[in-house]
Amino acid sequence: MAMAIAAGHRRYELWDPMPDEVREGARRFATVQALNELVGVLPFAEWLDRAPSHTRRQMLMAKIQDEVGHGHVAARVAEDLGMPRERILQDYLDGRAKVHNIFHYSFATWEELGPGLLLMNSAAIIQFQSLMKGVYLPYARALRKIEREESFHYQHALDLTHEVLTHGDAEQRRRVREGFELWLPRVLAYLGPPDTDTLHANRMWLIGLKPDGNDALRQAWLNKIIPVFLKLGVHVDPALVRQAPSGEWEFAMPDWAEVKKVIAGGGPASQRRLDWVRNALDRNTRYRRALRGVS
Amino acid sequence: MPHVPTDPDVYEVFAQNGLGKTLGHVGSIVSPCPDAAWHLAKETYGRRDDLATLWVVRRADMTVSGGDDGDLLAAKTRMPHRQPGFPTARRRDRSAAASSPAAVILPTAAVPPAAVAPPATAPPATAALPATAASPATVAPPRFRDSAPPERRDDARGAGGSELSDLWLLLADDLFVLGNRLGERIVDYIDLEESLAVGSIGQEALAHAGTILVLSGFDQPAADAWFFDRPQGRWRVSRAIERLTDWPSTVACGLVIAAAVTVLAERTVAVEPGEGWLPAITAVRDEQLVHLDHWRRWARALAAFPETRAEFARAYAEVTERAGDMFGARPQGGSALAVTLHERFAALVGENGGPGSRMPDRPLARTAGVGGSALAYCLSRGRMVRDDYAPGVFQ
Ligand SMILES: [Fe+2]
Repeated sequence: MAMAIAAGHRRYELWDPMPDEVREGARRFATVQALNELVGVLPFAEWLDRAPSHTRRQMLMAKIQDEVGHGHVAARVAEDLGMPRERILQDYLDGRAKVHNIFHYSFATWEELGPGLLLMNSAAIIQFQSLMKGVYLPYARALRKIEREESFHYQHALDLTHEVLTHGDAEQRRRVREGFELWLPRVLAYLGPPDTDTLHANRMWLIGLKPDGNDALRQAWLNKIIPVFLKLGVHVDPALVRQAPSGEWEFAMPDWAEVKKVIAGGGPASQRRLDWVRNALDRNTRYRRALRGVS
Repeated sequence: MPHVPTDPDVYEVFAQNGLGKTLGHVGSIVSPCPDAAWHLAKETYGRRDDLATLWVVRRADMTVSGGDDGDLLAAKTRMPHRQPGFPTARRRDRSAAASSPAAVILPTAAVPPAAVAPPATAPPATAALPATAASPATVAPPRFRDSAPPERRDDARGAGGSELSDLWLLLADDLFVLGNRLGERIVDYIDLEESLAVGSIGQEALAHAGTILVLSGFDQPAADAWFFDRPQGRWRVSRAIERLTDWPSTVACGLVIAAAVTVLAERTVAVEPGEGWLPAITAVRDEQLVHLDHWRRWARALAAFPETRAEFARAYAEVTERAGDMFGARPQGGSALAVTLHERFAALVGENGGPGSRMPDRPLARTAGVGGSALAYCLSRGRMVRDDYAPGVFQ
């Protein structure tokens, strides 16, 4: 049976009676996460065949496999709650589901990959550590596994970045810095619009599926990741982000209208992502049916 | 081997002693039915505790590991890149090597490596291409980019004869190309479980390719040069690689390569190979048998399903016909050893891939420069980033 926890919320297993709102909210969270893992891996997967050494290729392949694995465990949680896995990608193709802003871009250079991944992985870690405290236990467990692997990816991204900064030439090192400046605003936007004063009226917060607000997560993230870039020797432009004497981070507010447009499909790689998924399903659906033995 | 226990009335009990504690196995009970089992489990294992969770599972519904499954359960020794501490350990090893007197001089660092020093808890250093062998003698890296490519090595010792060694190096090439192709398949979304499977088989194929090179005396820069800088005209992949395209052909290629590696591994183990080879090749064989089983299931499914039957039959025929060169290391392609290996290989392919194999009766010679666009694409993509950097930057 579900148990009360300190925050006053009950927590639920799949088979516990639970309010429809919790069941539907958990299904939605898991579905959104599954889609974003499955599409969000594509910008890195595009670089796998260019990974420049045997070891680097193994490391990147392991990361790509993990990401699809995150999509898989999230999809399993969603499936148990009534969302067939086939619909996750189909809804995306049909325009009924969207992916986060950061997945509407591609990496233009190898040098951009390291800082881009560092920013994304660290933001994902902060976000998952928060969602893990949610009341639907199968999703919380899935997130615990996912979050642990994200920390491997963070180390991998640090290694990628460090390798170019240490052994690359001046031009290559410059592209790392540019990558940081390019991706910082995108990842700031990924953490969502300011909460203003609506958080405590947010149903997902009220029922215990979204334990923290966007602003708190953004501050926690900047607090963690900006010192890492400074330590790597990357110049952090105070016009982009700076720490006030209070400790609070101030940053250039993303253009939310633009972010919305990107999410709606107006990003530079939006069409490319859709095309990839559509082609993959067109090519392969009959093989999946063959494996399951269903016509 | 993992097995399914058969005691029909036994139930295994998993309990959690409080929120935040882990759910763990506490024991088992005997019961005629699942409902009674749960209540009995509570009375048996939780009568003095406030349990948070109690799960009861019929033993016969479980697949459990056995005492000899240690190797299957352990993180793979040829896959250190998967271990959490790998990136940090690798960076630390590299900066230690850079500060040793014999270090290669690399372009000036933007930041001192110490700026991102690994945590004190980093696990012990792991080599990128770990020698399961006891430190095989390393050779100088072939430098395809700076000078004329070296002649193919024919002095690799230890596999139990130089023809076996030659064959291993050839199969390493096939495994490398296959591994890369399977890596791309991770995001092909045939099915989510299949994505994970090709991810693992792909990484193992690359790891096996790397292991073979280490056993053959290559150090890591030499292995990278072998795989990344060697022009296509100097590769001698199996012609099966040309068909590494759509999914049915990939299944057929996966099957023939797994079968070939298995056959060569069995032979190598039987001839009492040199130090280091035996444990490494035994592990390679065991993993390839799992791959072979995976591809066998796919071959059966594609051959049985009306919509994919014809497509698979065509791919299987074409791939098996081309795979006749798998053991053709020598120009004449027909040494006694090659013939023996080929016969065993053809039989294993037939057992696993089903009818319709067009495998020739005798081994055909491998030729240089084949591999078609599948190999050309793999090589040209692999050089794109690498060629922009000074030699030795990427390890
Ligand atoms: Fe992920």
